Amino acid sequence: MNLNDCHNFDDFRKLAKKKLPSPIFHYIDGGADDEITLNRNTESFNQCDLIPNVLAGGGKPDISTEIFGRKISMPIFLSPTAMQRLYDPEGDRASARAAEKLGTMYGMSTMATSSIEEIVNVSSGPKLFQLYIHKDKSITDDLIDRCKKAKFDGLCLTVDTIVAGNRERDHRTGFTTPPKLTIKSLFEFAAKPGWVFNYLTNKKFELSNVKHKTDKGTNITKSVIEYVNEQYDPGMNWQDAEYCIKKWNGPFALKGVMSVEDAKKAIDIGCTAIFLSNHGGRQLDGSRSPFDQLKEISDAVGDKLEIILDGGVRRGTHVLKAIAAGAKACSFGKMFLFSLASGGQAGVERALQNMQKEIERNMLLMGCKSLKELNRSKIIYKK
Amino acid sequence: MNLKDCHNFSDFRKLAKKKLPSPIFHYIDGAADDEITYQRNTSSFNDVDLVPNVLRGVENIDLSTTIFGKKLDLPFYCAPTALQRLFHYDGERAVGKAAQKFNTMFGVSALATVSVEEIASLINTPKMFQFYFHKDRGLNDSCLERAKAAKFDVLALTVDTITGGNRERDLRTGFTSPPKLTLSSLFSFATKPMWGINYLTKGKFELPHLQDYVKEGTSTNTSIGNYFSTMLDQSMNWNDAEKLCSQWGGHFALKGVMSVEDAKKAVDIGCSGIMVSNHGGRQLDGSRSPFDQLAEIVDAVGDKIDVICEGGFQRGTHMLKALSIGAKACSGGRLYLYALAAAGQAGVERALGQYKAELERDMKLMGCKKISDLNRNNLRFRKV
Ligand SMILES: Cc1cc2nc3c(=O)[nH]c(=O)nc-3n(C[C@H](O)[C@H](O)[C@H](O)COP(=O)(O)O)c2cc1C
Ligand SMILES: Cc1cc2nc3c(=O)[nH]c(=O)nc-3n(C[C@H](O)[C@H](O)[C@H](O)COP(=O)(O)O)c2cc1C
Repeated sequence: MNLNDCHNFDDFRKLAKKKLPSPIFHYIDGGADDEITLNRNTESFNQCDLIPNVLAGGGKPDISTEIFGRKISMPIFLSPTAMQRLYDPEGDRASARAAEKLGTMYGMSTMATSSIEEIVNVSSGPKLFQLYIHKDKSITDDLIDRCKKAKFDGLCLTVDTIVAGNRERDHRTGFTTPPKLTIKSLFEFAAKPGWVFNYLTNKKFELSNVKHKTDKGTNITKSVIEYVNEQYDPGMNWQDAEYCIKKWNGPFALKGVMSVEDAKKAIDIGCTAIFLSNHGGRQLDGSRSPFDQLKEISDAVGDKLEIILDGGVRRGTHVLKAIAAGAKACSFGKMFLFSLASGGQAGVERALQNMQKEIERNMLLMGCKSLKELNRSKIIYKK
Repeated sequence: MNLKDCHNFSDFRKLAKKKLPSPIFHYIDGAADDEITYQRNTSSFNDVDLVPNVLRGVENIDLSTTIFGKKLDLPFYCAPTALQRLFHYDGERAVGKAAQKFNTMFGVSALATVSVEEIASLINTPKMFQFYFHKDRGLNDSCLERAKAAKFDVLALTVDTITGGNRERDLRTGFTSPPKLTLSSLFSFATKPMWGINYLTKGKFELPHLQDYVKEGTSTNTSIGNYFSTMLDQSMNWNDAEKLCSQWGGHFALKGVMSVEDAKKAVDIGCSGIMVSNHGGRQLDGSRSPFDQLAEIVDAVGDKIDVICEGGFQRGTHMLKALSIGAKACSGGRLYLYALAAAGQAGVERALGQYKAELERDMKLMGCKKISDLNRNNLRFRKV
């Protein structure tokens, strides 16, 4: 099996599983507790059907949209995700270049393995930075200043991760950052010599954005759960978010808003967008899926800020349903991470191309020429 | 596999299965008829989703709740279950001490293998005695007086077990109390020699609350179904419950109430709480799950008595959902029984500790600092 055999999410996932040492595969693939929410995130799209119109006259549909003040070529972009260097030696550089090539946005995690400055050098495409608030508040200021200087387009603050989710697959595999060879995991790593070779011969693993502030996770091995619980500030509140917005003074989103109450507060403190997200089912299991919650949120605040639906998106039709229900755009994590692990930059490009083609094809089948034509009349929720 | 590998309910269950002779494992693990209700008890939690709130500054979480006038540090407790000596040689002693460590309620079954007197001398945290209404009134009086003398905080009368449920796994394995070696069970006992050694060497099996009155289950082997069907008084009615309530004179609960009508009557006869429960699916199969029925009951009597949701809990989030609907506390059997079988007191402590850690984490992720912050606004029921 190789990249040319990857036509959809399951294919990329299969190939990634072949290439990655199992603790790393399961770090991407796993969710919290019983993974009910993880599974529901995708399942919930099937609770809603599309109603096409025919004979609408052909022509290539326009699937571009605008978020964080930047035009993107398709209504889907790369969610910020941690430690991409583990999935491919080029890591964030590969994702950022692929996103630029396809004309969509790249999201960078605080926990990225490339630095803000490094990414600006490889991509002039739309870029979003994702902020975690550490107990050491000087990290926040430092990151915002650097993003400003590097001219990132938007900033988002993740609010659903004040404490690490209970990812039981990581307990079992002993996943840590940087990867630690335990007797238990040794076998797993030895089974993927190609990965080990790339890992050891390419640029050193580091949490590039925070390494000058803390050794943890770069030189001192930590499980992700330990890192989050030690470093992030569980006391984070609305004032902290407001502080970031003022300091940033540009397009800003909260990532991980689920309730109408919080979405309204987000408007009050000056957010221009929210990620409707449960962190891909990796945090609170039993949390409602973003798509299930979308209608409520979009009815309440859809005209006042950009709603980004994040989580469970695997197909072009999922994107269409989300837009019809009121999202401005979607973002995805696992879908592009598996493609990154499958084939580096070429893999991510292929995944984005597949998405673009699916969205365009399905727009034609729906009889829609632009995303604006997608509204509630085009979907029906199953009872 | 050992205790360190147990991260959740199903891990403990797996380890228990490894350690226990199969008739005993299936006695815990099984339920009535086709086990539809048993399965539904847990799956009903998945028909509702949580909607969290963010940025609420949730460093410190208070998980405490007050039921029957007693403050518990955790919003869940150990339901009374029978015959714990069979699951681990420390039996009720192990569970009681673990419950004390977490300052939560310990429920002691009428069919316990350690006496109320010993439990009272062992732990000073809240205790509940679970009462079965026997035909033998002398036995009833004795149970009640002993629990009173031992200063138990609550008496819970089980009302869903006037006859034995149809637990077909027990029929197949030939489970009896005390365990009897039949040809069909011999093999499974022989494959767990450690259990056999502990069972034979660590103190005699007994049912201290009953043995002065009945031979069945103590010196005469009997099936549990047979015990219920022959020893318990099937004519038990509201008058009996009311009399018992006043004879007890303290906090009194009915365990196994499912209908609004009965919940209201429980208020009328002077109960201070009820357990919405179907006995862990072990009695009437097809009975509604406690969680499915909870809102109806809370709406009817939640402001008058403590409503406890009992059965099916395997996760902190399950408890959060029940508490959001309005349960005052959650109660479970299997959530600590497999852990008891897996590793005695250390096992139960690990299990209770994990639920506590889950609840703390989940409360933070929900943006809630105390149990009363949870409410129905944070829930969405899936359309089915
Ligand atoms: C391996 C992995 C790492 C992630 N790291 C981060 C992160 O560092 N910061 C963040 O805000 N979200 C992180 N996320 C969550 C994603 O941004 C996104 O919310 C999620 O992946 C969406 O669900 P999906 O994977 O079903 O598309 C991560 C997700 C995955 C799978
Ligand atoms: C092995 C076992 C023994 C039980 N023994 C009793 C008992 O003696 N008296 C009683 O009222 N309930 C008894 N129960 C029912 C529990 O009190 C409780 O209602 C049930 O376990 C809740 O369901 P859960 O196991 O899914 O938490 C028993 C349950 C189990 C699993």
